[in-house]
Amino acid sequence: MLADDMACNARNKYPAQVFNNENHRLNLYGDNVEVDYRGYEVTVENFLRVLTGRHETAVPRSKRLLSDEGSHILLYMTGHGGDEFLKFQDSEELQSHDLADAVKQMKEKGRFKELLIMVDTCQAATLFSQLHSPGVLAIGSSLKGENSYSHHLDSDVGVSVVDRFTFYTLAFFERLNMYDNASLSSLFSSYNPSLLLSTAYYRTDLYPRQMEQVPVTNFFGSVMETIHTDHPYRYSKRKGSSKGKIEMSLDQAVQDEKRRILSNLGDQNIDSDTKCPMGSMIHMWNSILDEIEKFEDRDTLVYYGLVMMLPLLAVSSWLSS
Amino acid sequence: MELLRRPIFSLLLLLSLPISFPSISLGSAVQGEDGHREEEFTEELLLKPLPDRKVLAHFHFENTAQRTQSYGRHHHLFPKAISQLVKKFAVREMELSFTQGRWNYESWGGFDPISSSNAKPPGVELWATFDVPPDQVDASWKNLTHSLSGLFCASINFLESSATYSAPEWAFQPASGNLRYGTLPREAVCTENLTPWLKLLPCRDKAGISSLMDRPSIYRGFYHSQRLRLRPAKIIADGADSGIVLEQTLTVVLQPNGFRTKSSHSSENKIPPTWAMSSLLGRKIEGRCVLAKSSNVYLQLERGLVAELNALKENQEFVGTTVLNDDLIENPAFEISVKPDWVLKEVGNLPTGSSSLMYGYSIGKSTDSGPFDLHLTWKSPMVWSCPRPPLHASRFLMGSGNERGAIAISLRSTGLNEGLYGSNKDKESCVLPVNVFQVVPWYIKVYFHTIKVFIDEQRKAVPDVIEKIRVSPSEDKVLPGVMEMVLKLPCGVKSAAMTLEFDKGFLHIDEYPPDANQGFDIPSAIITFPNVEAAMHFNQFSSSDKSPLLSRFREKNPVQSYTEVLLVPLTTPDFSMPYNVITITCTVFALYFGSLLNVLRKRASEEERLLRAKGRSSPLSRLLAKLRRKKEVEPQSSTTSSSLFSSKLVVKIILVAAIAICWQYFG
Repeated sequence: MLADDMACNARNKYPAQVFNNENHRLNLYGDNVEVDYRGYEVTVENFLRVLTGRHETAVPRSKRLLSDEGSHILLYMTGHGGDEFLKFQDSEELQSHDLADAVKQMKEKGRFKELLIMVDTCQAATLFSQLHSPGVLAIGSSLKGENSYSHHLDSDVGVSVVDRFTFYTLAFFERLNMYDNASLSSLFSSYNPSLLLSTAYYRTDLYPRQMEQVPVTNFFGSVMETIHTDHPYRYSKRKGSSKGKIEMSLDQAVQDEKRRILSNLGDQNIDSDTKCPMGSMIHMWNSILDEIEKFEDRDTLVYYGLVMMLPLLAVSSWLSS
Repeated sequence: MELLRRPIFSLLLLLSLPISFPSISLGSAVQGEDGHREEEFTEELLLKPLPDRKVLAHFHFENTAQRTQSYGRHHHLFPKAISQLVKKFAVREMELSFTQGRWNYESWGGFDPISSSNAKPPGVELWATFDVPPDQVDASWKNLTHSLSGLFCASINFLESSATYSAPEWAFQPASGNLRYGTLPREAVCTENLTPWLKLLPCRDKAGISSLMDRPSIYRGFYHSQRLRLRPAKIIADGADSGIVLEQTLTVVLQPNGFRTKSSHSSENKIPPTWAMSSLLGRKIEGRCVLAKSSNVYLQLERGLVAELNALKENQEFVGTTVLNDDLIENPAFEISVKPDWVLKEVGNLPTGSSSLMYGYSIGKSTDSGPFDLHLTWKSPMVWSCPRPPLHASRFLMGSGNERGAIAISLRSTGLNEGLYGSNKDKESCVLPVNVFQVVPWYIKVYFHTIKVFIDEQRKAVPDVIEKIRVSPSEDKVLPGVMEMVLKLPCGVKSAAMTLEFDKGFLHIDEYPPDANQGFDIPSAIITFPNVEAAMHFNQFSSSDKSPLLSRFREKNPVQSYTEVLLVPLTTPDFSMPYNVITITCTVFALYFGSLLNVLRKRASEEERLLRAKGRSSPLSRLLAKLRRKKEVEPQSSTTSSSLFSSKLVVKIILVAAIAICWQYFG
């Protein structure tokens, strides 16, 4: 459901293209995009009709949610919102109790088995505060009284292209590769409040299973890029093993994660000392590289680098004088 | 034993397959021999340089199928979605177009077949005729709009309400019958509309000419319009079942890159920009679609351009240079990178004398000779005029304010109507009929008795000019206002205008769209010249290879032009009024009840004071006692304040500070 036509808007400098980053690397509005409800059709009434399945007889199948009691549904909502509401088209509001009612109807009619609601608005956690149906997971980008912010401005297009919550969600998924078995708990714990500038709050009390056992592919599909090669593919073992170590630690609780990483580094250092003196330098360099790889925010790395350059500059100027 | 039986059984099947194959192929061959019973698909692309330095690219895909009485039918090339739609809603003819941009009739032409059938109003336009009894047509139309909205990811379902569609009888299409017409002027057109349209083609957008459709290049154009036309096929032998012809066209007007910065000031003596298919559309044709019967690219030179080239050639011949060919492949004005496979010339009696030229290229199979890319390099500045319709139609609003206004349709001569005298020497009786079809929403309440007609800026009586008029008055929230009329104008008319007054209506608060303050649209009016045909006949180089695009050019369709869409501001309510009313009412209530309670509380303490004061004697002494008490109280309070200054005030300050600190940290 897209209320505004952004891609082919007359003011869009890049027609038929919607980017989520300033570097314009990924065009979200690809060739196979499908928008079922757009423009004036995006109303609270149509949204609730889609959820509950109460359409007129003439409505075609592509505009219906064809789900049954074994379906997993992902519901992603973004826009302007506030305490217990979400704004539609600047003239209507979806209230939290209406959403809870619709979800209750869906459960009674057997229209889903598991439902994940992601909300990216101001005070997002209030929108799902009234939910009481089993099998529902919800995550919001901010708590009551907090605002959600956009990530960065693309001065070429002239608007902010992505919100912080969405940006870090995408960053999480971009980091995964085909063989990872990341769970929802790793997704939920990957949000850093100081980077989001708000607290991402999630609600798991209505969900029967543990977060660590639910893979993200339960709700998120994946696109496999198939490349046809004539030669056999060589699988490099080194990268895979280190990734595996990190993945195991991510699946634990946050405190355990920190402890395990420290112990890993410590083990490496101990090993190096017994082997050879030069090896310690190499291992320290490797540990530094690992730390750098774990950096989620490249900006802080750049700032650290700049700050470290200052003493170097001072030393060189002192030497030259 | 069963294990033995299975491999033997499978072996027998394998052996029997090659025997059955020839029978299957024989069967298809039998169908194939019967000429009009097989499915055919052809793809064509036409490129045409336009006088204002832009390039027109017109894609034409035609798919023919046989309609049968039985429901289950396997299609081999024809899209199943369309055949199911036709079968379910008994659609006889249908046209659906998605357009963005306005067709510039002055620079891009209005007289040729492309502009007459492909210049569409902005937004969505849908019309359809049905093979059902007249009382079921509305129900079929409603279901059709819903199915199309699901198929093309657009809000075509808004056309289901009777206030949005109309039933023209003779002004739009001659002899229509069960025709329904509807348009949505404000519908956006984007990739999600083009993708399902391309999925109806046998090769999708993966191979053949349709692989050229780079979405950013198409939507960067000045005008783009995708059209889907369904019509019954002309039957040769039996009239029992007729086939369907699905015609899909995409018309794009593009600007070649690199000349945006230069051509701001007088572009008359500048050389038109060089363009290539790869620079306009971003891709080259890798190969043809293997399912297509024919795959051709055409480059058309208009009559005006050919006339200019001939004049240039004559000048050069006069000077004494080499004699050039008649087909103008090598000429001093421009150079083409690929030599055309054949050249077609327009035939028939033409008004100006010079005929249009068509260079044809046949796209070979896959990568025989590399990808196909056509370059056109201009060598000398060239200015030519395009064929314009006899009268240039435009429409505008008159009047101001939120209560009333007027619509004016103006027809201005372009000089072409002079040529319509033809053989009729009697200039007095030569008459140019003009059909006008206009649909106006119900909230624009038109008064048909206020029609005024002006010819050559002189007011004429209405019966003198309007030969036939049919009006369907609007009904609030139910029907739009429909007007069909035939104007008889003298052939040598310089300008004609027609005005119509209206009142603006009121909408219910629920009926306003979210962006109500932008205004409301009056859809385009359709101006048709029934006596003037937009047809182009080209000599076919071989009768076996018939091009559907050129056959469409030969159809005798009348010249049609669309006027602009009008934006009418209506009175909109203040949508924040409910909020304001609630706030004001609550404030009034709060003030009233608050002050009431306050006053009640004060009375009670007054009574206490009275009881205390009862100890004293007379009212005067009471007054004196009051004053004295005040004097007593003051020094008392001062003493008390002096004693309590440090502790109470300090405690208060500390409390306020603590609250402020807590608020700062925990808020």
